[in-house]
Amino acid sequence: MARSVWKGPFVDAYVLKKAEAARESGRNEVIKIWSRRSTILPQFVGLTFGVYNGQKHVPVQITEDMIGQKFGEYSPTRTYYGHGADKKAKRK
Amino acid sequence: MDVSMICVGAIAGAYGVKGEVRLKSYTSTAEDIANYAPLVTEDGQSYDLVLTGRIKNGLTARLSGIVTKEQADTAKGTKLYVPRDRLPETDDDEYYYQDLIGLTVKDTGGTELGKVHAVLNHGAGDLLEVRGPNLKSGALIPFTQEIVPTVDIENGIIITDPPEGLL
Repeated sequence: MARSVWKGPFVDAYVLKKAEAARESGRNEVIKIWSRRSTILPQFVGLTFGVYNGQKHVPVQITEDMIGQKFGEYSPTRTYYGHGADKKAKRK
Repeated sequence: MDVSMICVGAIAGAYGVKGEVRLKSYTSTAEDIANYAPLVTEDGQSYDLVLTGRIKNGLTARLSGIVTKEQADTAKGTKLYVPRDRLPETDDDEYYYQDLIGLTVKDTGGTELGKVHAVLNHGAGDLLEVRGPNLKSGALIPFTQEIVPTVDIENGIIITDPPEGLL
């Protein structure tokens, strides 16, 4: 069942605090978080979070199209390398 | 196997009794494997390829020189390669995973951090997994202009300017 709208999106309070502090400082840093369950909010766009996957903090740069998803979706807990073949990486 | 050869697929076994094979494709779009034919095996045998259909977990194809089910069974597990120079040119700031893997990563002060072990993408952009003597379980570096200002494939060097807390 979907979460009730009247409650608003769930975010752990410490994530909000850390994000606000990082935005105020204006420094380019990775915000380490353990809260995979928190929702990505519009005020996080442009920040880089290190989302814990049980082993290390995976850097996740927040963009507009991630709003409403959970942090954990971008930090898989199992690693699969697969084959490179003709796959390309684009430097943004 | 020559390092300039890139594995693009493998034969998974026979399909039917008329010499067709089940094919695993490792290319970004599965059907693109047909564009790279002829494909070469580890022992230097060359195969032309015609795709005949799609099945669960793969493709079906006819390979030149494989006309019976027995031949297809024998070829099971064979990896298929193409020379690196047969892959199309990339756009600006676009790199094949294979070209990035193995490059030496240095920081802006010239200190060597390690080598690129893999390129990952979990939906939030490409990440370089760098492994080195001073990086415990490997560091993940976002592949962006800001954090990776220089990629020098010819000299095998990547310069990175990691933000605070990344390494």
